[in-house]
Amino acid sequence: MKMSVNLCGVELKNPVIAASGTFGFGREYDAFYDVASLGGISVKGLTRLPRLGNPPHRITETPSGMLNSVGLQNPGVEAFIQEDLPWLLEKGAVVIANAAGSTQDDYCYMAERLSKTDIHILEMNISCPNVKEGGVAFGTRPESVYNITAAVRAVCKKPLMVKLSPNVADIAEVAKAAQEGGADAISLINTLTGMAVDIRTRRPVLANVVGGLSGPAVRPVALRMCWQAANAVSIPVVGMGGIESGADAIAFLMVGCTAVQVGTANLYNPCACPDVIRGMEEYCAQYGVEDIRDLIGSLILN
Amino acid sequence: MKRLTAEVLHVQPMGAEMACLALRLPEGAEMAQPGQFVHIAVPEDRAHLLRRPISIYSVQGDVLMLGIARKGEGTKRILQVKPGESLDLIYPLGKGFVKGASRRVAFVGGGIGVAPLRYAMEKYADADCKAVFGYRSKDLIYAVSACEKTGAEVVVCTDDGSAGVHGLVTGPLEDWLKGGQVDLIMACGPTPMLRAVQALALRYQVEAQLSLEEHMGCGVGACLTCNCKVKRKDGEFGYKRVCADGPVLDAKEVVFL
Repeated sequence: MKMSVNLCGVELKNPVIAASGTFGFGREYDAFYDVASLGGISVKGLTRLPRLGNPPHRITETPSGMLNSVGLQNPGVEAFIQEDLPWLLEKGAVVIANAAGSTQDDYCYMAERLSKTDIHILEMNISCPNVKEGGVAFGTRPESVYNITAAVRAVCKKPLMVKLSPNVADIAEVAKAAQEGGADAISLINTLTGMAVDIRTRRPVLANVVGGLSGPAVRPVALRMCWQAANAVSIPVVGMGGIESGADAIAFLMVGCTAVQVGTANLYNPCACPDVIRGMEEYCAQYGVEDIRDLIGSLILN
Repeated sequence: MKRLTAEVLHVQPMGAEMACLALRLPEGAEMAQPGQFVHIAVPEDRAHLLRRPISIYSVQGDVLMLGIARKGEGTKRILQVKPGESLDLIYPLGKGFVKGASRRVAFVGGGIGVAPLRYAMEKYADADCKAVFGYRSKDLIYAVSACEKTGAEVVVCTDDGSAGVHGLVTGPLEDWLKGGQVDLIMACGPTPMLRAVQALALRYQVEAQLSLEEHMGCGVGACLTCNCKVKRKDGEFGYKRVCADGPVLDAKEVVFL
């Protein structure tokens, strides 16, 4: 059976991409399996300069999910280009550079800088809920999504994927704004803003007070939003949100996603991505699907 | 670092709050350094997704013994396993205690934090070493007789005076430090205890290795959620990953918030 898909001009071996922020730069998981066997790797969110991130606690478990507020800790785009990108390319991985900024200028700088490297796709993160400036500030209103996408599009020479926030009134409008701004693809959902309180101390559990909710708990919301977004645009949609099995991923393809990202599941199952790929293959074998692409948008409405 | 399926041998109580979970590993039980940890998936529980980082209490041949507190829902569920059942774990993880050339080690533990020191003493302790373990009260005491078998002196402290010295572990530790009887401290326990041990180590200029705890995600160094604050060599503040750069860190670099 054929598992490969084409994502805005880039051939992926299979539709499974490791999601940004859960996979570092791939090295830790390469101890468990060959990370180049994945469709792609979306690396830890990069910023123009190194970022320390938020104080602890940065994570807390919630029913069938978790909240995180890492706050974009990363070594900066230059360190990534010098120290991590060569390793990923040497391995033969499809590299999706996830980049976030505090200003439009930051986003454009990183798009220009990364365009001069051999990354395959730029994933513009306008949906990080855990930083004070930028991030999700660009991602919540259709006008600002259009503006930042158009500005980055003008200087980006790589396929441009815009990662959308679920913390919006109308995901279809936001998806359309990204497409009109010149995005080659969209990915969604980033985390849903959430909160946890320690009732013994009467304090928020996370030092940042609020954080991003992810994991199987958000999957129905993510699936609904991917379906709405896919119906609103003609560019490819990359779906994510609580995917941990082949069955989960198949559903995202059916609602219109060209590929999926696996995030939180990596944290509790270091082999989550290969498990999802295997599960998708098993589904195809069981249902006589010869080309995985035949499942994309194959949902039959009631 | 490997993902393994381990067979449960038994679960035995250790004091009123802790239990010893004995597992047979298919390979590599002996690989663990003292202070390293095991990341265990909560079995058959779709609500508690994240693995639990658990201390290594002892290694005997292919049998791994873990010290687990009956603290939260996840650890309680792990301790409900029956002999013959299996657990999914990643093992061994992190950077542990290193004895190096030091001879006279002081092992300083508090509560749950005594568990990894038991394994550290199994590997490192002899009659030149000392240990001081603090518990809230007498009924919570565990690990003492096992640690005494290494030949080291073990002093017990309780918060309520129901056994041993009535007071904190820092009392006996400071006496030893004043007397110049310690070359290296290995410590694990609650944050206030570690902060006090750090202060003593700096005052008496004795090297100290502190085993930290933080809410943890992947356990393998990828997600950056378990980070703790440190003072870097250049004097600036930064973060280190408790799971991969720790859990044992040099007292000179740890910054308690």
